[in-house]
Amino acid sequence: MYRYDEFDAALVRERIAEFSDQVDRRSKGELTEDQFKPLRLMNGVYLQLHAYMARIAVPYGVMNSRQMRQLAHVARTYDKGYGHFTTRTNIQFNWPALQDLPAILSDLAEVEMHAIQTSGNCIRNVTTDVFAGVAADEIEDPRPWCEIIRQWSTIHPEFSFLPRKFKIAIVGAPKDRAAIRTHDVGLQIVRGEDGQTAFRVFVGGGQGRLPHIAQEIASAVPGQSLLAYLTAILRAYNLLGRRDNIHKARIKILVAALGIDAFREEVERQYAILRQEDLRIPDEELARIQAYFTPPPFEALPIISPAYDAARRLNPEFARFTRSNLREHKQAGYGAIIVSLKPIDGVPGDVTADQMEVVADLAARFSFDEVRASYEQNLVLPHVRLEDAHAVWSRLREAGLATANADLATDIIACPGLDYCSLANARSIPVAQALSRQLADADLQEKLGPVRINISGCINACGHHHVGHIGVLGVDRKGEEYYQITVGGSPDEQAALGEIVGRSLPANEVAPAIARALDRYLEVRTDGELFIDTVRRLGADPFHTAIYEPIDAVA
Amino acid sequence: MKLLTANRLNDGRVIYLGEADTAVEAIDAARILDADAAEAALVLAQSRPAVFVNPYLIEVEGRAPSGRDRLKESIRSVGPSVGHSLAFVARNETA
Repeated sequence: MYRYDEFDAALVRERIAEFSDQVDRRSKGELTEDQFKPLRLMNGVYLQLHAYMARIAVPYGVMNSRQMRQLAHVARTYDKGYGHFTTRTNIQFNWPALQDLPAILSDLAEVEMHAIQTSGNCIRNVTTDVFAGVAADEIEDPRPWCEIIRQWSTIHPEFSFLPRKFKIAIVGAPKDRAAIRTHDVGLQIVRGEDGQTAFRVFVGGGQGRLPHIAQEIASAVPGQSLLAYLTAILRAYNLLGRRDNIHKARIKILVAALGIDAFREEVERQYAILRQEDLRIPDEELARIQAYFTPPPFEALPIISPAYDAARRLNPEFARFTRSNLREHKQAGYGAIIVSLKPIDGVPGDVTADQMEVVADLAARFSFDEVRASYEQNLVLPHVRLEDAHAVWSRLREAGLATANADLATDIIACPGLDYCSLANARSIPVAQALSRQLADADLQEKLGPVRINISGCINACGHHHVGHIGVLGVDRKGEEYYQITVGGSPDEQAALGEIVGRSLPANEVAPAIARALDRYLEVRTDGELFIDTVRRLGADPFHTAIYEPIDAVA
Repeated sequence: MKLLTANRLNDGRVIYLGEADTAVEAIDAARILDADAAEAALVLAQSRPAVFVNPYLIEVEGRAPSGRDRLKESIRSVGPSVGHSLAFVARNETA
């Protein structure tokens, strides 16, 4: 993974010194809240319902064990002993005191972490495929490109005060495991006509109040020109994006208003007048960054591990875990293990300091010192020998991290909702917990197959409800929590927005309603048909009937 | 009737205006304000930015939050309704 050079280290240290001074002046009353707010937001500090909240960047979701241990230290020393992984693969601490923030950032700087650009109207943490460098279908590892974009966008003077926040995601394979079309800019690595690395570029995606799926703006931008092309997009957006209405300030609104063809013309106009030589990525610099991401020293192992196969035969619980939470690795004899942060009845994305240390130990011992955060709010040990999988599972199980539910119905993505967030209209976590309990039966979950359920506590859609196979949106109806259900959303290469099934439901009716919708799926699916494909084939009507008929019969 | 609430500057915790114009953490210790007293309390809190961040008034019946934001204010008054924060509070109270 990437290691800081002297410029990175100096930049982070200088920022901490600057922010420490700002915190000190705020504490002494020399800065008002209105003056301090934009400064704290630049350092990932929010003021939520109950306390300050610090959001720490996990660049493209990649961490080493030392970093994970330091996050545990922060959780234990300055917070309430836990952290919360988000859909941007960052981690949030919910309870830091104002005057502890400089110490927290200083402790994190020791392990090359920071909170810069985790908030504000700037380019946020770049996300990618959690199986980067692992998946066999990958054309190229996207992580070096994430790092290049991170360096280019960090405290970029032209793009630090955009009309609104700006999110970029990259995948290195045709299969989209990073939801790129829900992003302001989505990048897919392809081979150009010359056989070199190029990027298929999507623009104008986003969720929130006015959701849009990103549209293709370029089919193959050469890798060397990626920063120039991104600059042209950002420049067009910065100049033409709306600043008069926060709800219409994202690039998705601009692209939709102009139309993709007119926006493309504007980008090409900007591209033509850029100083290309300033933005061309030199081959030697690309090679230098790529060197940080060379594959670890894998052993030459056979594809089959007799010890692994025997463990699966002897232990049905382990076998189930491998079916759901172990993914194929392009290196023979290895697998990637999904560490579930979705225990039944748990809080999606939450992880205690003790659990962080368990994961750090396992990463150091069994996964070449690497752990990843996924946008689905789980962790991944990316490079585990199959013959070590049982030992890893055993330790995860002891720590409550081995729920066999990756990509299944209880692998629920949820925002913190009204239990923590000052923007929320309704709680998300209790609804996720009720659903988790309702769908806990592991046999049922396997029978259902992959079903993604997403819950957001307000229309800002931090829980990505628009693109959940089943989406749940909390709404406020005269002071009462109600929940609107959608079906048919999808975050992948067939990205789609969900369709509202019907009127919103009170909290206690959501889990039974979704259970009925899933029962209906089992009745109407064809052999081997996934839930999302059934919805695509039949539309929302069968699910509307399943959800509302029993309620209407009682009413 | 109303209460005055805010977040405390040094740790962001939820506070209320209590008796003798002190900042208190427990909603049960908050001073109940009629319309005139509420406006005066808001002015007072705004004049003490070293304690009260973003002060505002909430509607209450007794000391229970009422009105449109009653759920949000109820959660603010007792903390998250679920999750690890809850376990942390329970553990520390037991200890």
